[in-house]
Amino acid sequence: MARKRAKAHAAVPPVTTVVTLCLYVAGGAPNSVKAIANLEAICQQYLQGGYRLEVVDVCEHPLRALSDRIVVTPSLTKLSPGLPANVIGNLSDTGSVLAILGLRSADLQ
Amino acid sequence: MSLEGPQTIPTPSASEAESAFKEWLRRLVRGTAELRAFDAGEIDAVMDPSSGRAILLHPTRVALQRSSQLLLNAIDALPCEICVLDPAGTVVMTNQAWRTYVSAHAGSGLALSDGLNVFAACRQVQTGERVGAAAVASGLRLVLTGKRDLVRCQYVHDSPRGQRSFTFAITGFRTDGSLHAMLTRERVSEGDSTRLAVRSDRADAKGIAATGLADVPNRLLAALPASQRERLLDGLESVTLHYGEVLNEPGEAIRHVHFPSDCLVSLLTVVEGHRALEVGLVGREGMLGSRLALGINTSPVRALVQGTGTALRMKSTRFLQELQRNTELRRAVLRFADSLMGQVTHTAACNRFHMIEARLARWLLMTRERLPSAQFRLTQEFLADMLGVRRVGVTSAAGALQRKKLIHYRRGIITILDQKGLEGASCSCYRHVQVPGLHIAS
Repeated sequence: MARKRAKAHAAVPPVTTVVTLCLYVAGGAPNSVKAIANLEAICQQYLQGGYRLEVVDVCEHPLRALSDRIVVTPSLTKLSPGLPANVIGNLSDTGSVLAILGLRSADLQ
Repeated sequence: MSLEGPQTIPTPSASEAESAFKEWLRRLVRGTAELRAFDAGEIDAVMDPSSGRAILLHPTRVALQRSSQLLLNAIDALPCEICVLDPAGTVVMTNQAWRTYVSAHAGSGLALSDGLNVFAACRQVQTGERVGAAAVASGLRLVLTGKRDLVRCQYVHDSPRGQRSFTFAITGFRTDGSLHAMLTRERVSEGDSTRLAVRSDRADAKGIAATGLADVPNRLLAALPASQRERLLDGLESVTLHYGEVLNEPGEAIRHVHFPSDCLVSLLTVVEGHRALEVGLVGREGMLGSRLALGINTSPVRALVQGTGTALRMKSTRFLQELQRNTELRRAVLRFADSLMGQVTHTAACNRFHMIEARLARWLLMTRERLPSAQFRLTQEFLADMLGVRRVGVTSAAGALQRKKLIHYRRGIITILDQKGLEGASCSCYRHVQVPGLHIAS
């Protein structure tokens, strides 16, 4: 029984640092809505609560987006850990999102 | 109504826009990721550094317009009546059900068309609707200032099918950075005729909507400076207290403080082997739980609701914090605690020395000044408990007052016929326990 539990626990990727993310979206626009849903699913599956996500609506806060050097939306920025990295689009490509998070999907299978 | 905000800039037709955008984007970006995402149709907007705005792409705008129209059609198809208000309380959107309601109830029930202001309409309602309109105006202010997310108010009005009652739900939501509100009608019913009659009577008697007290019927709260009262209202919730409900037993910790609006609460001393005896009466002039201001968190008496009605309540922990920072509130509560002590002292002496008839008259007057109506429901058994006498004693005393045409007592309903006469028949204790400022409408 205890062995089974240990095995199940080992399958979960160890998350020791909190990943800080910022997603820039344009209100309820279709790609923005998809990006939020895709990112939430990825975070739930791979980060399991070990993340902090801020969603910025560029229609409401355009100056914030410009000062953060955002050109198009949807746009995801990983702020920490490590160097900042960026993914553009509706985040349906899970691989590229995992890459900026420093995770490879193959490692997690 | 359109979901496009002022931050979007109109662009040329779809084919022109696409090539123009791509060219523009090419100049804006250094890498190719943006262009790849653009080709894949995964981009919604481009930030324009020169205007400092987000420019929505043509397909995005079309999609948003479609979803906006879909949303409007869905709201129109909803069976409940919906009215959307801007930060100033002006109607900016209504659904089909609301418009049908307006055409059926023009001039009553706050049935407002687009462009009208709710606050102005609340000041112009018919007499019978004043209480409800005042509650709506007050609730709307709380929602539009962000103090509450949701407020529900009961509303009574005359319709072509007779008097109706329903609940207005006022919900706040933020759009374009400012707070808007949505009015919806819930629980529409013909209502209980007795209750409706009492509410209309209250509105008639006091012209309540014309005064600031309309928002806070409780005198203790109404006497506080407006700014401090507003802050206090934030932590208060409206509850309905029902006849026979016990708010506190002797020795029990005070979990909530109550500020009665139109209910009545008796304070009873419970002596082992005897029936409970009333030693105090609290209504809209005061509160339950004033001992907290004295640093005592238990109740020495049983607090029994003897007149169904509404009250505002607050958790004791929050109330203690408010007492710490609100000196006016502390003063008001201590003053009330002192007057309650006076009332209890006089009631104890009165129970010992005065005749049942005079005590009954005093008790009826005290009840009357705390209730909005001169007519109230009381059983002889209940009165016997309140006065600490046998039932037969109450029958005889009530009969004597009735013969003098001071009251009318039939099937548990007491009507005060002659206020002055009853004051003359009561014992001197009434003058001592009378609450200054609690005006009795004759």
